[in-house]
Amino acid sequence: MMKIYIDGREMQVEKGMTVFKAAENAGIEIPHLCYHPAFPPEGTCRMCLVEIEGLPKLELACSTQVKEGMKVHTKSEKVVEARKGVLEFLLAEHPLDCPICDQAGDCKLQDYYEEYGLFDDNFSESKDRREKKIKLGKHLIHDNERCVLCRRCVRFLREIIGTGEMGVFERGANTEVNILEGMPVDNNYSGNLAQLCPVGAITDMDFRFQTRTWFLEKGEAICPLCSRGCNIFIEHHRGFSRFDLPKRVYRISARENAEINSYWICDIGRYGYHSLDENRAEKIVANNNKSIKNYKAALTFFTEKIKRLLYKKKTSRITLLLNTFLTNEELFLLKKIFQDDLGVKNIFFIDPPAGEADDILLTSDRTPNKKGAEELGFEITPFELGDLEDETEVLIIFGDYIGEIFSPSDIQAYFDRIKDTFLFAPHKSEIDSIAGIMFPTVMTPEKGGSLTNVDGKVQKFSPVLEAPEDGKAEWKILAELGTKLDVNFKYYKKFLSPEEIFRQMQKEIPFFEK
Amino acid sequence: MKEKVLSEHFSIDNFFKLDVYLKHNGYQAVTKALTELNPEKILKEAKAANLRGRGGAGFPAGVKWGFVPQNGDKPKYLCVNADEGEPGTIKDRYIMTHNPHLLLEGIIISAYCVGINTAYIYIRGEYENIALRLETAIDEAFQKGFLGKDILGSGFDLDITVHRGAGAYICGEETALLESLEGKRGNPRLKPPFPASIGLFQCPTVINNVETLSNIPAIILKGAEWFCALGLPNDGGTRIFGVSGMVKNPGIYELPVGTSLKDLIFKYAGGMKEGKKLKAVIPGGMSAPILKADEIDIAMDCDTLMKADSMLGSGAVIVLDEDTSILDVLKIITKFYAHESCGQCTPCRIGNSWIKKIVTRISQGGGKEGDIDNIARLASNMLGKTLCPLGDAAAMPILSIVKKFRDEIETSIK
Repeated sequence: MMKIYIDGREMQVEKGMTVFKAAENAGIEIPHLCYHPAFPPEGTCRMCLVEIEGLPKLELACSTQVKEGMKVHTKSEKVVEARKGVLEFLLAEHPLDCPICDQAGDCKLQDYYEEYGLFDDNFSESKDRREKKIKLGKHLIHDNERCVLCRRCVRFLREIIGTGEMGVFERGANTEVNILEGMPVDNNYSGNLAQLCPVGAITDMDFRFQTRTWFLEKGEAICPLCSRGCNIFIEHHRGFSRFDLPKRVYRISARENAEINSYWICDIGRYGYHSLDENRAEKIVANNNKSIKNYKAALTFFTEKIKRLLYKKKTSRITLLLNTFLTNEELFLLKKIFQDDLGVKNIFFIDPPAGEADDILLTSDRTPNKKGAEELGFEITPFELGDLEDETEVLIIFGDYIGEIFSPSDIQAYFDRIKDTFLFAPHKSEIDSIAGIMFPTVMTPEKGGSLTNVDGKVQKFSPVLEAPEDGKAEWKILAELGTKLDVNFKYYKKFLSPEEIFRQMQKEIPFFEK
Repeated sequence: MKEKVLSEHFSIDNFFKLDVYLKHNGYQAVTKALTELNPEKILKEAKAANLRGRGGAGFPAGVKWGFVPQNGDKPKYLCVNADEGEPGTIKDRYIMTHNPHLLLEGIIISAYCVGINTAYIYIRGEYENIALRLETAIDEAFQKGFLGKDILGSGFDLDITVHRGAGAYICGEETALLESLEGKRGNPRLKPPFPASIGLFQCPTVINNVETLSNIPAIILKGAEWFCALGLPNDGGTRIFGVSGMVKNPGIYELPVGTSLKDLIFKYAGGMKEGKKLKAVIPGGMSAPILKADEIDIAMDCDTLMKADSMLGSGAVIVLDEDTSILDVLKIITKFYAHESCGQCTPCRIGNSWIKKIVTRISQGGGKEGDIDNIARLASNMLGKTLCPLGDAAAMPILSIVKKFRDEIETSIK
């Protein structure tokens, strides 16, 4: 540890730390564009220049390491003048198209101008015209006029992903970043470029011109589309009072987590959000029994069907189809109710087929909680229609993936032999009309709970979005079911939130203790 | 006649050939260094010679060698900067054309001193014939056992490769040179780390200019004391001054460090062409701040010129006469730096292009009040704030011109 002073404040910092990091830790913000903590310092934007006593020139905060007794000034007149100067250079050739720029409101250049600039425009020459709509890949558009040449995009592709589709071309004021000929940025991490870009040069075709960033709220969530458990922000719009928006979620962005996903997410996770708003199941569908008009009646009907088999000691006639999108808490309750209390043996899993893992983030499991299910003691037996035994009277299905694997006519043929089928699914599908009752459920960002990632890391999360009309989180349905089954009902009474379920899990299963 | 270290034999026919070179005591310095001296002694001698770098920055060569860590397990490299891109500079081409073996001797001795077994000569692309000549000289030296394995039975190995640049001024900046040599875009690196510790291929690297290294054989043969005495105590030896512009006899002149600029122009280069009056001198390559006619009574050495707010740089003296339009000079300078900026860092990329736009506008008759102040302000915003010295190299001459010739530029605006 060594003692340094930043803006007169004494602080103890670790040897080898940069001035930038020391200032950041002390809550002192130093403007920067090319610096990003994921890369070694680049030193090209020149925004982070600071004054260090005893040195003749201003030095870069991003690359200068602290020295014992160092006295740094981040807001001295000299520093502020230099920042203004650099900002003036950056803005000289920068187009004034903030009103139509996706980055506006979220733009470093705008922020810094507000803070340090606010100078008159001395640039009376004509601005260099450059290409404004270069297609970098299937998700990305590049505007060379807005680019500040921080090269974060180039470095990301070279240093993090290793694909190197982009490079720097020409020199001097003609310098530009672009893709190498015939090498579009179509790798599974391309969307990170739009998020990495400190200005509006690289924009996301999926988000382009859809909304203004200041309308968006960032909800902290976990990506459910593979077992990595990447931390994400769900950027959603609260809407306006006078008219309805076509959707709630406008984009998903990476949320930093040094242990899991660093600063990145893959494109599967980033662009997989459309299913949060599209084709959602909102109302109970009761095909066999028209008297069931609301959720409560449907759940009572469901409970009675199970109770009947329980009294007849025929719970072996229940078949349960689960999936590993379900949270630890939900799988725990399913295990308690069906395996422990009812003694159900026919438990299968229907998950999307495994994909190819890359060595970056994406895992082969395309669900978030396979590890959690295993730690809870489930044997992950994949389901085939032939597994439906002739004696099955009650079939309970969680998730809507069944319709993706099997054809509706095949499903229908099997379901016809079963008295009661109950489907708990977040989306509308053809199975809704085949199942006896369809209960709308919620998607991962609409509920709370925890997921166990591929490395056994348990991550808790809270709901970010509201549930659809009749939609209920599975843990809620299960806790309610538990209290109504007359087997162990007192046990389930305390489960008013995922936290209480988790606490119970910790008591019973050593894996979750830590 | 003054004593010459580098150009003494330039006029001898076929001196670039090894057999001719050997007849004039060629490779005696290498023989002495490798058979009689150890690396420590050579380093001591190089330091004592006060040989300042001839590439532009004037950093003492011996001190530079001393920065290379000697206990690592990585290979070390020597890169010879033969990129000679500073406008006005013509010295290295003469050395390499007429005396390539002198450079090779300098390379062998310095490599031996620092413990280097691989050297690269990074030569500017335009010097195609000179590159071929160097390659021939290297082949000859290999055949005679001055290069390759176990040179002169000393156990020391050295291989030299000639690498041609592709026409970028920035590749004369030492770290951009390294990037280019590694096959990458020629962009300067952020320093620290300095090349002495992390250079070519992430290994310790010495980078020296052609003229600097070519002085080494004489220092080995005749001693540091003799070398120092040729020039000044703190800036030893001679310099090859390249005089261009409106003088009677433009060309190269090898003269002691500290020779007066006035003598260089009026005594050696024959004075002004056609009897014109001297207007100004750029004393050390285009990036050196300009000197007015009344400022030329000055010694040509690193420290004196620095005190006069200019620099000796590469020793390239550009002489301007009374008919030269200073606005044209400014236009050439700004156009050059805007064209040669690598584009990596903001102030240099935009600053040079912006200043060029203003100067071009003025020269086309569109000058406005405030333009000169704006040029000075923008140049100051580049000065000391860029990633590599190119920003300073552009800002310094521009600032000196708008300061010293403001009146003349103003006449183009009104």
